[in-house]
Amino acid sequence: MPRFLIRTLLCVLAAAGLSAQQTEVVLTATSSTKLVLAMTAPKATGLDDASIAAEFTAVLRRDLDETGIIAVLQERLPVDGAPAKAWKEAGAQWLLSTRLTKAASGDLKLEASVLDTAAESGLFSRTYNANKVVPLRYLAHYLADDLVGRLTGEKGVASSRIVFVRQVSNGVKELFQIDRDGADLVQLTRNGSLTLSPTVAADGRLAYVTYKAGPPEIWGQRRKDGPHERLYPASGAGGMLSSPTWSPDGKRLAFVQGDRRGNSDIMVLDLATGRARRLTDSNGINTEPAWNPNGNQLAFTSDREGGPQVFLMQDDGSNLRRLTSEGLYNASPAWSPNGAMVAYVSRFEGKFDLFVYKLGEGKAYQITTGVSTSESPAWSPDERRLVFTSNRFGSSQLFTTDLSGRQIVRLSDLAGCQSPRWIRGR
Amino acid sequence: MRYGIYVVPAAIVLTLGSLACKPPKTAEQIKADTQRAFNEGYQAFKDGKPRATNPYVTNKEEPYMAQGWNDGWDKAKADQEAADKAAADKAAADAKAAADAKAAADRAAAEEAARKAAEAVKETVHMAAAKALMNIHFDFDKSDIKENDRPTLQHIADFMKAFPEAKVEIAGNCDERGTNEYNLALGNKRAAAALAYLKTLGVDEARFTTISYGKEKPLCTEANEACWSQNRRDEFKLK
Repeated sequence: MPRFLIRTLLCVLAAAGLSAQQTEVVLTATSSTKLVLAMTAPKATGLDDASIAAEFTAVLRRDLDETGIIAVLQERLPVDGAPAKAWKEAGAQWLLSTRLTKAASGDLKLEASVLDTAAESGLFSRTYNANKVVPLRYLAHYLADDLVGRLTGEKGVASSRIVFVRQVSNGVKELFQIDRDGADLVQLTRNGSLTLSPTVAADGRLAYVTYKAGPPEIWGQRRKDGPHERLYPASGAGGMLSSPTWSPDGKRLAFVQGDRRGNSDIMVLDLATGRARRLTDSNGINTEPAWNPNGNQLAFTSDREGGPQVFLMQDDGSNLRRLTSEGLYNASPAWSPNGAMVAYVSRFEGKFDLFVYKLGEGKAYQITTGVSTSESPAWSPDERRLVFTSNRFGSSQLFTTDLSGRQIVRLSDLAGCQSPRWIRGR
Repeated sequence: MRYGIYVVPAAIVLTLGSLACKPPKTAEQIKADTQRAFNEGYQAFKDGKPRATNPYVTNKEEPYMAQGWNDGWDKAKADQEAADKAAADKAAADAKAAADAKAAADRAAAEEAARKAAEAVKETVHMAAAKALMNIHFDFDKSDIKENDRPTLQHIADFMKAFPEAKVEIAGNCDERGTNEYNLALGNKRAAAALAYLKTLGVDEARFTTISYGKEKPLCTEANEACWSQNRRDEFKLK
């Protein structure tokens, strides 16, 4: 028992140490229900220790830590080559051994195997080959995703990415993409204007709103890896346009169109026919459409009953019902990938916080708590975390949180970020 | 003396003979003579003598002399006429160029005057716009026109009536609180509220365009009410 306490203390200390770094863990709660994994030092050929430590070991450790279901044993480790029993006594349930090889061509190979320390039997073994353009970090992500898959049956999201909007200069915002661990920032648009509301289809097609022509227009890709072209309006000006959102099958695009009387309505554009259909009835603000995973329902925000509240309806506009009941300002719904939850933001005492509504229970749970404003929740593909923006360190930055709200991680220190969307990597 | 009686006839014979046997002129001589006659004829024209004064008409022996003289006179006349025509053409061209230049100058002056007048009007419109097109403000999550913004909207309506050609964009904006998308819709609602009010003041709504920037273009970026209240606004811009 004292040993357990020491370990817990060390974990807290480690977390505190980690929080001082760039990629900080703002709040960490260790859970005894996590699987404890120990890593032996990677055996390497053709790579130096420093790059392995920075580009592989540290990346893998952070990936596993952020799964929320695997804890990496960090202290009082037996020496390499110690028998399984010694690792088991140190507290490890899984023992991960890795071998990294860099060929003269620059190609990388990772051989990984996991030993169950109790049963003293192997339960995972896989070799990863990557050509020289793939960074070492990615092999760590792939391995982390497979370890989560071995544990839960669903691949992890270490190799996933976030697409988001970032202010480039006054009045100019562009789309960017960043790896889930905050590495590899890539600029996706260069419109030199406001560019807002990104949405990414399952096959990676992008759509967004841009003000590059003056009035807003919806642009995006009609086919995978295709050029960015105007999707709506086909010609002329379309009034206020916002919130394009691909349907799960990628064939329809829900969006919002505002008229000159101040109403804004949820529309659905059929990409094949080019025909747009209005789903709401021009009675004030209707915005922020979010598809359910079946693509037959939409959550959205409406002020039809006063302040903004989250409503649900069928994809033809029928069966309209209000979802949120508490609070005067509930908005920004995001339907979870498995369909059972809707994340949203709620304003309370001047601050915005993330909430998750569990449809099965008919109850909402608060995720973040009032220290600052938290906005724009979007689900991770594995439904374990939410990415969101928060001004807790001043300017609006990207964070992720688990559903308990206890493990909030700053994704990157980039300022002026908004509207994140979480997508699976290739 | 016995031969004396032959002298006279011999002399006659010799004289006649020498006359009869006078050698024919060469081509060069004819050419030179013709040129001389030509020059004389050319000069005769210039001296104002009529063509009938050709001295070689009677010289049947050398018809080329008369022809040369006549050719000279004709050439002089043709040259004179060509020179006269060229001078006339040049005078006409000069006159036309002068007229064109004057027309162009007149046109440029007229354009300049029109441009200046248009600029003056534009300047007047802009000055009037700068005075009249002031921002109006809103309460949090509201799009109702506030009582104290009514005079501002009245000024905008007066401006639109004073300058019937003026077109204005109404841009709705919000403070940083609330979601990006909801605020875009709210900005649209705020622009529409001003549009509806201006319509009640008798301004044709077709002269306005509306746009919403939501909370994407704040005037002020501090997180306090003083700043937020500036950002919750409609801006009016001359198009």
